[in-house]
Amino acid sequence: MAAARRTIPAGDPDAEHRRHVVSALVVDRPGTLNRVSGLLRARSFNIESLTVGTTHEPGRSRMTIAVRGDDGHLRQVLAQLERLIEVLDVTDLTSAPHLELELVLVELAVPASADEEQAVLDLLASAGGETVERDADVWRARLTASPEVIDRALDALRGHGLRSLVRAGAVAMAAHPHHDTTTNENGAPGA
Amino acid sequence: MTALTHPSAPQPQRQVAPRIGARAVCEALVREGVTTIFGYPGGTVLPIYDVLREFPLRHILVRHEQGGAHAADGFSRATGGVGVAIATSGPGAINLVTGLATAMMDSVPMVAITGNVPRALLGKDAFQETDIVGIALPVTKFATVVMDPDEVPFAVAEAFEIARSGRPGPVLLDFPKDVLQEETSVPYPEPYELRLPGLLRPVRGDVPEADELAEMIAAAERPLILSGHGVQIADATDLLRKVAERSEIPVAHTLLGIGNIDETHRLSAGYAGMHGWMHVNKMIQQCDLLIGIGCRYDDRITGKTSTFAPNAKIVHVDVDRSEIGKNVRTDLGIVADAGDLLAALLRRLPQSDPRTEWMDQLAAWREVSEARSWHGSGAWREGRLSADYVVDQIGEATNHEATLVSDVGQNQMWAARYFGFRKPFHHLSSGGLGTMGYSVPAAMGAALGAPERETWAIVGDGGFQMTMQELATLVQDQIPVRIAVLNNHRLGMIRQWQEIIYDENYHSAELLGPDLVRLCEAYGIPAWRATRPDEVAGVIAEARKAPGPALIDFHLDEAQNVYPMMLPGKGLSDMVEGASE
Repeated sequence: MAAARRTIPAGDPDAEHRRHVVSALVVDRPGTLNRVSGLLRARSFNIESLTVGTTHEPGRSRMTIAVRGDDGHLRQVLAQLERLIEVLDVTDLTSAPHLELELVLVELAVPASADEEQAVLDLLASAGGETVERDADVWRARLTASPEVIDRALDALRGHGLRSLVRAGAVAMAAHPHHDTTTNENGAPGA
Repeated sequence: MTALTHPSAPQPQRQVAPRIGARAVCEALVREGVTTIFGYPGGTVLPIYDVLREFPLRHILVRHEQGGAHAADGFSRATGGVGVAIATSGPGAINLVTGLATAMMDSVPMVAITGNVPRALLGKDAFQETDIVGIALPVTKFATVVMDPDEVPFAVAEAFEIARSGRPGPVLLDFPKDVLQEETSVPYPEPYELRLPGLLRPVRGDVPEADELAEMIAAAERPLILSGHGVQIADATDLLRKVAERSEIPVAHTLLGIGNIDETHRLSAGYAGMHGWMHVNKMIQQCDLLIGIGCRYDDRITGKTSTFAPNAKIVHVDVDRSEIGKNVRTDLGIVADAGDLLAALLRRLPQSDPRTEWMDQLAAWREVSEARSWHGSGAWREGRLSADYVVDQIGEATNHEATLVSDVGQNQMWAARYFGFRKPFHHLSSGGLGTMGYSVPAAMGAALGAPERETWAIVGDGGFQMTMQELATLVQDQIPVRIAVLNNHRLGMIRQWQEIIYDENYHSAELLGPDLVRLCEAYGIPAWRATRPDEVAGVIAEARKAPGPALIDFHLDEAQNVYPMMLPGKGLSDMVEGASE
């Protein structure tokens, strides 16, 4: 294909800002994160989360970036990201079927009763989680689910002794169109 | 191998005799065809200066690193090649930044080489250490620190490839001093050995989308081409003229698109935008098809985008996909090299009949707009020295064939409006960043890059004082730059804005400057002063005879404004045409 034909409207600043999940394949080297985050900052995007990790290919990393912005504006910024020498590929997963998960570690008060304990375990299970450590004075647990499911579970856990939490940020991957796993009932990957 | 290469990629089996990193850098420059470099030595780049004599590289010792960066930029723009600037760590490197940003905004290929403190001292606040890569990231196409002598040959080769490919831009390579001092046996890579998987390279060849554009042209009654810098970057000015003649479409140009078409060509519409010609802006507002080729539709062209080209279908052709739809609504966007698109159009377009009605309209508007500007108003006949007259006379004296480097502000707009350009690569200006002080050092680079042409810098007294330290460089290397200072003892564009927009509240617009003729005497540069129109032709003729640099101090009428003017926040249909309005 000699050139991509596009009819692209200019970004409308009044357009509704929705959450986008962007996946970027990048070269694994010092400065790549700086370059990507710097471009988003220069265009006044507030990064909701950004995760980066190695891939199956040596020398390649995958970034998952969650940002809010209007579609046209974001599409233009993604084109700017794509032209960075360190960036190999950029995909906005938002409108396509994709799998999106987040890991959260939480500290919880030790449940005071068996009923309370069951309620906490049920909440953790609802977000693909389980306890990791049960000390005498504190429980530590992990949750693995879509950010929306995580949000709901964390809201509920606030009423059940939630003391602190660490969110890893979303990781996402394009999914097969017939397996839209974002609609999975608990947002966790199928067993 | 290098930082950008797949780590498991096989290294070249070939080895060459070991040489230190500094020699590998110089060898790479020579291999890339570099002949002239602009630099300023310092502790961390001394290893390069220690071996520089061994290589066929002419080093121009600038007086400030900003001058070096602009000179490299001017060298690139005048030649279509890649200019090179060298600076030491810390302040030297930081002084390059204005020049890098200038080149970035205008898509100018350039390679900047900086030294840094030895690897063991990086990050320890060593003397003259700075994180220049961190500083340069947003103003370069690519910037990296080279941490291994074995990376040097690839790093330099890749820097040149990145700088000139696709949409060009500046690249900065930072070398810790000990990387320049240690040896490597890695050879300079062959082109096929470069691995730049993230480099966007335009797909070359036919552009199928030209089908749709050809149909739009066939359906249009009042089409207009708005041509930008991308046409010259693609070296496609001949194709542009052929497409215009085939389709009988008039061609307007942006500031950096000056030279895309001979301004005396019957289909040349002229310079568009904030201080462009009224007739051109009227065409943009009245056309039914606007074909932007290699331009950014930036705010100095469009004004208020919601009222821009309201009657037109807008086409945007750019090699950089991220430009399309960035600023204006686009009915057809085509990602392609300007030359490929024009060639594809030429293959598809039938010969059009003259668009008599549209061209007659243009001629009528042109007559009015030229009569209203100072150019035709005859102020100079009343004995007042006006900038349009000076610029026009320089154009006439040089047969419009000089390289003309303008600065920023009123002088830039006068140069753009009144010189009468004929050819590509002859007009250099900091269009995007608007860097005052650009012209004199950039003219230095242009004169060295294209010595067969006469080189003029057109500069205001404000911009001149920003980089006038380079007068010494011009003398030391006898670089034949003619400098025309349009001296109104003012920051003229500031004064103009304060007059028109800020209710004549003149603050910091008056500018004390030295006696430029005596200043030049101190430097050993022949100089003249002109205060009346009848002196202009004479001093230009004298300055042209000088074998080396020369300067003319043109004392202008201090209150002269550039008209027409599109006020900030307004659109192209709503321009101030002159002082009376």
